[in-house]
Amino acid sequence: MPGASPLAGLVEVLPSEDESRTAARFTVQDSETVLPGHYPGFPIFPGVCLVECTHLAAVATAPGGAKGGELAAVESTRFTGPVFPGDRLEIAMGWKQTPAGEWQCRAKLATQRGDAATVRLRYRPRTTAPEVAP
Amino acid sequence: MTGQRDIRARLPHRFPMLLVDRVVDVVPGERLTALKAVTCNEPWYEKLGPETPEEDFAYPKSLLVESWCQSAGVLATWDDPNPDVLDGQVMLFGSMTGVEFHRPVLPGEVLEHRVRLDRRVDDTVLFEGESRSAGETVMTIGRIVMAFRPAETLRPAAATT
Repeated sequence: MPGASPLAGLVEVLPSEDESRTAARFTVQDSETVLPGHYPGFPIFPGVCLVECTHLAAVATAPGGAKGGELAAVESTRFTGPVFPGDRLEIAMGWKQTPAGEWQCRAKLATQRGDAATVRLRYRPRTTAPEVAP
Repeated sequence: MTGQRDIRARLPHRFPMLLVDRVVDVVPGERLTALKAVTCNEPWYEKLGPETPEEDFAYPKSLLVESWCQSAGVLATWDDPNPDVLDGQVMLFGSMTGVEFHRPVLPGEVLEHRVRLDRRVDDTVLFEGESRSAGETVMTIGRIVMAFRPAETLRPAAATT
């Protein structure tokens, strides 16, 4: 069971021959949880949900050394085209280990109309259980 | 202090995606501090069951960013509010860089989003800042870029934003 997420749909992992280049797909259903409020009468898939799609796709396809990592940073993101209900997002990811031992995932997201976003995430090894605030 | 009435007059977001509860400090054109209480009654927690480990109740980081950005949106539109996403100039989330997450945020915490307006160039606004909870910084935002564009830009026929 994955943790709390704004996405109701599931990320579908696509086959890849090289663990440093992975791929996934996400279809934006009309029933996505966020859409009634983003925006009423004009549903548009939020940019941060493209980041969430990328994160879930990254977690599902992380290469051996990056598995179980914790999202440490959104290094950069550019939103280049709107995404609407019914769109199918193709997510192409490239993985690289940083000199500090963290993992960087560079992703390109596209719909049938063209580019939707570029997203660069960084993961750090999960060492201890998260602290709970008092 | 500014409550929901004024926030909803500035943001088009509504349940379950209106992620700013209250504005506690604002200097128009310069900075804003807003609060967002995280609760397990938000729909993102609906499917989590009794066996879910505590760390899986961490507030989704993507929504932490969204909540901060909405606070930035309140600041950006303070003097010229337009909550109608179908008309006039609408605010689009263009890009972000250097967003660092320092620790998980759990239900029961109250986030304090601190937003600083770095620069405004024509119809583009640059922000930076951080989010704090219980006296700790939980997220830092290197830069967020928002752009004001005509509402037509968002139509499905448009190729890009």
